[in-house]
Amino acid sequence: MKSSTPPHKSSILPPNNENRIAKNPFEEFKTFTASGPDLPLDQIVQSTEAVMDRIRCGYEKLLEEEAKELVWMVQYNTIIKAYEVAEKYVKEISYTAEDIEDFCFALENTQRIPYLIPGPAGIYLSALCNYTNEEEIVLKLSELKTEINLVGFRLPKGKRLMIEGDTGDFTGIGLEGGELVIDGNSKNWTGAGMRGGKILIKKNIGLHTGEWMMGGEIYVGGRVRGLGNIVEGKVYEREKLLYPGKVRYPNVYY
Amino acid sequence: MQSIIEEIWPKLRKKHLYPEIPMPRVRETPEQEKSESEEDEDVGLEMKQKQLTINGAFVSQMKEKMPEKRVIEALLDHGITHYTFCPWDFHTHLRLYAAAKKVVGDKDLAKQVSNHFIDVIADTHCVKKRFTEIPELHRNLRKGDVEEVIASLYQEIWGMDLGIAPSKMGVKGRADIVRRLARIPYLDRSRWGESIQKFARTLKPLLIQEQKEQGAQGGKGERNPQGEHDLNHYSSEEIDQGLRDYARQTMTLSEFKDVVEDFSDELSGAGYGMEGGMGRGQGNPVDADVLFYMKLAENYSIPVKKFPLEEKGSLHPYSHCPWEIGAPYQDVDVWTSFGKIMPGITQTWTKREGKGRGKIEGTPDCLIVVDSSGSMINPRKSLSYAVLGAACATNAYLHNNSKVAVYNFSDAPMGGKDILNYTDRREDIYRVLCKYFGGGTALDLEDLMPFIQGKRKLDLFIITDMKITNLEALIGFFGQIQNRVTAVHIGDNPYAARFEKAVERKKNISIYTVKRTEDIPHIVLGKIRDYFNPTHTKKS
Repeated sequence: MKSSTPPHKSSILPPNNENRIAKNPFEEFKTFTASGPDLPLDQIVQSTEAVMDRIRCGYEKLLEEEAKELVWMVQYNTIIKAYEVAEKYVKEISYTAEDIEDFCFALENTQRIPYLIPGPAGIYLSALCNYTNEEEIVLKLSELKTEINLVGFRLPKGKRLMIEGDTGDFTGIGLEGGELVIDGNSKNWTGAGMRGGKILIKKNIGLHTGEWMMGGEIYVGGRVRGLGNIVEGKVYEREKLLYPGKVRYPNVYY
Repeated sequence: MQSIIEEIWPKLRKKHLYPEIPMPRVRETPEQEKSESEEDEDVGLEMKQKQLTINGAFVSQMKEKMPEKRVIEALLDHGITHYTFCPWDFHTHLRLYAAAKKVVGDKDLAKQVSNHFIDVIADTHCVKKRFTEIPELHRNLRKGDVEEVIASLYQEIWGMDLGIAPSKMGVKGRADIVRRLARIPYLDRSRWGESIQKFARTLKPLLIQEQKEQGAQGGKGERNPQGEHDLNHYSSEEIDQGLRDYARQTMTLSEFKDVVEDFSDELSGAGYGMEGGMGRGQGNPVDADVLFYMKLAENYSIPVKKFPLEEKGSLHPYSHCPWEIGAPYQDVDVWTSFGKIMPGITQTWTKREGKGRGKIEGTPDCLIVVDSSGSMINPRKSLSYAVLGAACATNAYLHNNSKVAVYNFSDAPMGGKDILNYTDRREDIYRVLCKYFGGGTALDLEDLMPFIQGKRKLDLFIITDMKITNLEALIGFFGQIQNRVTAVHIGDNPYAARFEKAVERKKNISIYTVKRTEDIPHIVLGKIRDYFNPTHTKKS
């Protein structure tokens, strides 16, 4: 049977061990604390990350539902349906314009968001802009390598969306009274089906501009490459009224 | 003031976990120069290599607002954090600068952005991790427009009052700028690349406005009171290492060139003028292309096989074996046999033939033949594996104290060639390697003869895509010579296959294919197959 007392170790220790106890070389750092007090920065970054995670999650769910094969065709039905799905997720999130801008850049960071499909990304971005609490949204996207399509879809009255940089196809389609300013170029089908509001493009614009446009105004600072079949509304090129008027119509290349 | 530094230095060292930084110094402005150097009072700290120097004039000027000791401590906290956290090394500095340049597009603006970013990180790190007087220093510093925005950013992210009134932030959307800046994760090192781009995007309009105002006033901008961030921070070894890492990380000639050309003045000052040797010349422009290959090649190490040992013929005692009856007595080792002749006790020496290195010691010189015809990549436009491979070979021979000659050719008989005689001047070799002719590909073997004749021990290194008009002549030439030949071909093609087939029985020729940079370290210079891989020879 083993004794309950521990074995006597004094024979191992040298004599006068009390005087010879080695000093802990790290004694000096006993009071050192590796991390200091939390700064407001930590909180800001943490909450920003949390919002970004939710936005990202919503986008990924949209892709899962609407672009399962990572292929997405731009059709009236698909746009409406995708927007409804995007609305569903976006409504649940509280975010700011800066979060939307961060999301745009996160789209290009493949480590954070694996797929950038310009169509659904644009629909989701539009939903984010339409449901934010801010009335004026400025997105500085000039360094973005991808031109996102469908930006400004259904921008409602009372909202002003300003984008620094170029946008892709279908910019400002179905605009519902908002003001969309593009500080750059825009591609084809800009303002298609818009019902009201104003689109201001600082540089050039592509083909089919204002296709089936039902109202509102499109101002182009540069050149209009071609107009679409416009039902109602106005299109200006360098402050000159292009439609209604002597237009090269429709889709005349010049 | 020096006594204050000596007093607080041990405490500061402990606070920053004993960084390897020498005791800071104080620079006092002589009385007669005081009136001339009013602007000198703007800068409190100077960092050269690892020596921190406090500006006495700046501290004296700040004395009215806060005690000298606290000013010095804050400045030193800031300076030390640059070495211990951000930017940490020259490579990080270059990386941050390059990321900022992509956004702002202008050299001066990019330098300003990266400097502000580095300062914000250093100060925030210090405020979070150490007890520091930096906030108090910021409260009392003189501020321009940008500095005011940065100070209100500090107010936001540190949660401290630095004396910036909220009314000031209402001007021209500054509150918006601060709000955007405050969202950046400054302390997350892994995200500094994207963070600085966001920082640059946000600060760009303000910096452009400031630049315009300064231009209109015809003066230089205000200097950073916490010290300027330039290449003076770094020692030449750190700059070397930084350039090497940056070249390896980017692997893109244009990006590297862009950054190096922006820092060309500082690099020239640090001795990177290409004439006269690295680190010795001044006043010559930095050849960014050559520097790129030079630094990138330093990341790869190619071994050079020295000449194999040759049998010399003389025998020497090598090991013991038991003596048997009938065996000769002359090889008996009397010492281990205890003076007895008896089986089981007596031992004899087994002898072996001695080995030597032959007549030439070490590594021979090398003739590098590099193809710069139209089918090869222009090394000054994008990364050329041929030049990188040749550069690695150059380094390998030069490190072994050998000399290198270069024969750069395209259509050599028509004059498309550049020849460099045996030299150990790295810059000269690289310059010839980086030359690009384009056009057809033909070797003039007559050109090679003077380099080979009279040099029995000479290595040949040829790097080409093998699309050579007179490939047969080259094959015939290699068939005659006994020198060690390392032939590297870029990519697979029928010509390379033809060459391989023709020389497969030549033991002195080793062939390698380079399709990616990762293939380069697999090259072994001067390898002779039958010596290093006898099984290969048996099979063939």
